[in-house]
Amino acid sequence: MTGFLGLFRRLEGPQTLGRGPAFWALFALVLAGALAYPLFSDGYTVGNTVYFFVWVFIALSLSLIWGYGGSLSFGQTAFFGIAGYGYGILTINFGASYGFTWIALLLAIGMAALVAALLGYFMFFGRIGGVFLGIVTLAVTLMLERFMAQTAGPEWRIGAARLNGFNGMSAMPPLTIPWFGGPIVLFADVGLYYVVLAMLVLVYLALRILMNSSFGNVIVAIRENPERAEMLGYDIRKYQLITFVIGAALAGLSGVLYTVWGQYITPSSMGMTAASLPLIWVAVGGRSDLTATIIGTLVVLSGFQALTIYGSQYALVFMGVLLVLTVLIAPNGLVLGLITWVTKRVARRKQETA
Amino acid sequence: MTRSGLRGLRAAALTGTLVFASGAYAAENPIKLGVLEDQSGDFAAATIGKVHAIQLAAEEINKSGGIMGRPLELVTYDTQSDNTRYQEFMRRVLQRDKVDVVFAGFSSASREAYRPIVDQFNGFAFYNNQYEGGVCDGHMVVTGAVPEQQFSTLIPYMMQTYGKKVYTLAADYNFGQISAEWVRKIVKENGGEMAGEEFIPLGVSQFSQSIQNIQKAKPDFVVTLLVGTAQASYYEQAASANVNLPMASSVNVGQGYEHKRFKPPSLKDMYVTTNYIEEIDTPKSKEFYAKFKAKFPSEPYVNQEAENSYLAVYLYKQMVERAKSTNRDEIRKVIATGDVCMDAPEGKVCIDPKSQHMSHTIYLAKVGADHSISFPKIWEDIKPYWLGEAGCDLTKKDPMAQYTPSNPPPKP
Amino acid sequence: MDIATLVFSALYQFGDAFAFLVLSACGLAVIFGMMGVINLAHGEFIMCGAYVTAATVHAGLPLPLGILCGTLASACVGVLVELLVIRHLYERPLDTIVATWGLSLIATQGTLIMVGSTMAGVGTPFGSFQVGAYSYSIYRIVLFVAALAVLGALYALFNWTRFGVLARATIQVPHMAAALGVDTRLIYSLTFACGAGLAGLAGGLYAPTMTLVPTMGATFIMEAFVTVVIGGADVFLGTAPAGGILAIVKSGMTSWQGQLFGQIGLLIAVIIVVRVLPKGISGFVLRERT
Repeated sequence: MTGFLGLFRRLEGPQTLGRGPAFWALFALVLAGALAYPLFSDGYTVGNTVYFFVWVFIALSLSLIWGYGGSLSFGQTAFFGIAGYGYGILTINFGASYGFTWIALLLAIGMAALVAALLGYFMFFGRIGGVFLGIVTLAVTLMLERFMAQTAGPEWRIGAARLNGFNGMSAMPPLTIPWFGGPIVLFADVGLYYVVLAMLVLVYLALRILMNSSFGNVIVAIRENPERAEMLGYDIRKYQLITFVIGAALAGLSGVLYTVWGQYITPSSMGMTAASLPLIWVAVGGRSDLTATIIGTLVVLSGFQALTIYGSQYALVFMGVLLVLTVLIAPNGLVLGLITWVTKRVARRKQETA
Repeated sequence: MTRSGLRGLRAAALTGTLVFASGAYAAENPIKLGVLEDQSGDFAAATIGKVHAIQLAAEEINKSGGIMGRPLELVTYDTQSDNTRYQEFMRRVLQRDKVDVVFAGFSSASREAYRPIVDQFNGFAFYNNQYEGGVCDGHMVVTGAVPEQQFSTLIPYMMQTYGKKVYTLAADYNFGQISAEWVRKIVKENGGEMAGEEFIPLGVSQFSQSIQNIQKAKPDFVVTLLVGTAQASYYEQAASANVNLPMASSVNVGQGYEHKRFKPPSLKDMYVTTNYIEEIDTPKSKEFYAKFKAKFPSEPYVNQEAENSYLAVYLYKQMVERAKSTNRDEIRKVIATGDVCMDAPEGKVCIDPKSQHMSHTIYLAKVGADHSISFPKIWEDIKPYWLGEAGCDLTKKDPMAQYTPSNPPPKP
Repeated sequence: MDIATLVFSALYQFGDAFAFLVLSACGLAVIFGMMGVINLAHGEFIMCGAYVTAATVHAGLPLPLGILCGTLASACVGVLVELLVIRHLYERPLDTIVATWGLSLIATQGTLIMVGSTMAGVGTPFGSFQVGAYSYSIYRIVLFVAALAVLGALYALFNWTRFGVLARATIQVPHMAAALGVDTRLIYSLTFACGAGLAGLAGGLYAPTMTLVPTMGATFIMEAFVTVVIGGADVFLGTAPAGGILAIVKSGMTSWQGQLFGQIGLLIAVIIVVRVLPKGISGFVLRERT
């Protein structure tokens, strides 16, 4: 029982922003808003919000590995793609009945985690770090992209599933909940929204607990000073490897959800542009905090989409300018910068009144 | 786009209440056409013209009274050469803007990205682009040319003219591989031999090794199925290495106007089968070209995809007027009659009811040493026969799938 | 086919791959390798060089002068970018990812809006020559020679000139250099401009052989990063051997199994080199310094 309560206490701590009743009241308010929002919205907006949520998981994975762990992974899209294709191959072969889509989801994430474990072992136990880590992970994701792009031929099939090259794999079933009186198919609409929202909340809270646990503290210690962490007796390679695998699983979850959302996955999802986008989202929000990462990712995604809709041909130019300005004005990321600014003002006011 | 976007929002508020409107109210109730094309990013060079062509056709139609008295309204988004943007905006035009029809897509990957969404929301989409063929989907109409139309004409001509040893240099993805399969098949049927085949990953821009491989194989001509701006660098590099072989292609010139962009004579002796390019010297074509240039004077080139998009708007108008409805099922009944035809800038075109692809006039364009274009041969009424022969019959069954010669529809 | 032809053809292919890798990487080697700025807009500096070169050639200048203009234009843009953006980011190099990604978006789309979706090519000069059964482009040999010349010039610049020594000193220990009276800001600006100019030079040199479109920089960027990273921080001792190793792997795999394997082989070679030499090639060569 105390262990269980201990977990709850870990929900706040030095590694995550937000503590105390005020924060959790706000959290509850936002959550209630998110739960109620489909009632006041249309199918398109809800489906579009799911789409934004889908990308949050890969952003969180990068926040974990890069923001907290200090290892710049340029290749989270590799795990995104492996899990996406994995889900496609499994469900096209075994169908969606008896809730198999959920098993496929887990298996696909497992595949991504397994590849990450092998790659991570190779990298961390080979003492590859810094920018070299970035280039190895980038090389892996580009390799996967190039390879998958040329699998258009009929010989590239796994069971009933054709990889279908650059055009991408489609026609996999969406997530399906077996139910009395017929299964519930979760198209990109209200149903999928609640499922993904639930996952997001769970992952967010779980990561908060993880980061405020002793494991999280060691991870941050490794980021701040790997030699010192090692001198203190921690096998930093093991910690880095575990973080990397958890991150890969999250990126994999993102990949499966993306595949489910559009019933489509393509090699471009592992290409250079796709690989750099999560870095942008995370850096804009503030990479060293989970909450900032989530808010930042949602802000950038929706902002860029709105710009593309209303910004005509200047959309990409605006995006570029915004990114440059963000970096210059808010060094720790937009969200983190804003929060620090606000707390400083509040503190100053308190001092003045005191 | 800002303006059209806002107009879209306002109009979205209006539709729904006016479904049964007739005559008097019609002007209030536009027919909405979604346009998802790449106006920025990698493919922009070949696709900005498509958007302009649609704008031109819509303007003409609206000037002459619209479709059944209803104005045609465009809802345009820039998809930035990005598959995920197609997914986002296809859902947007279908769910939010509630368009009657969508004209969308340049690359095959983008089409495959949006197709599941069109199928899911029971939408109606036109793909106005030449591609590798094989889409058997009742929700789609394809107005671009397909391999059997371009290769069954091009390859026999080249073999008669230059000889029977053929080398294929193709982009290493669906379009290139399937097109190469077609070339292989037609070369074999005509008693020729493949001197070699090489596939180039997308985005590769350096061709020294390929040039040497071609010289080693000593073919009579080279079929270049190179896609994208990076791969187009081949021509300049081959010319500077003095390869000096005739070339045949289904994608170049007609799509990316390489003969305008490269310095002569790098595309000398390039033969292309296309259903339209701006140099075509018929009254219909000249009239279209003049109208296009009048509205968009700075357009670098009017390519085949621009003409496909232009005529598609008119074809859609005809279908709606004959069906007296924008309902897809009603329109498909019209298509099923098999006589949806029109006099397009290229000549007469008809929609094939089995595959919902289009017959074309195929022009053989030859690039001269000074990059001028001549037309040694013209084939009229070339049908998109393969899907129908292979067993796709949309008048009976809608499998919503893409097939290839090595992966044909299942036999009933 | 006689041996001489085979050997020459292999050498030619190697030289061609080497030139492409080294020329695409040199600018980045200075900006990223030396200064630590992760410059995702590297491809756009190359594009800038190519566009200016093509434009000046269209205006009537001979190609070498055009390339010079392209190089200078890129360098000028480099100074501007350094002044407005990069200067504020030396303390936090990881943030340069976002800033330069933003710059690359601005440059690509800005070029599309201002210049149009394509630009006419300028044609490859010098024609071809014949060895055995094959004919080759002379310009490709020029590119190889240019790559060697650039490497030599960089070595001379950073080892034998006052600027080069000051630049290395400034980048290694900035406050020390500043204390000794070096105008470190100026040195940073000039070094960045030097890198940008080298990128422009690569663009100018490859302009005659390629399609000129706003997104053309993307074809260089992967090769550039890979070469620089496995090369390590030293421009001459890193980039040159890295270019050599990767060119052997790439040209060998390409001629043996085709372009796809050339590319995949390149990436695998990168992973192996990084695993064996975790500090890059120059880190290995200069063990005592790192």
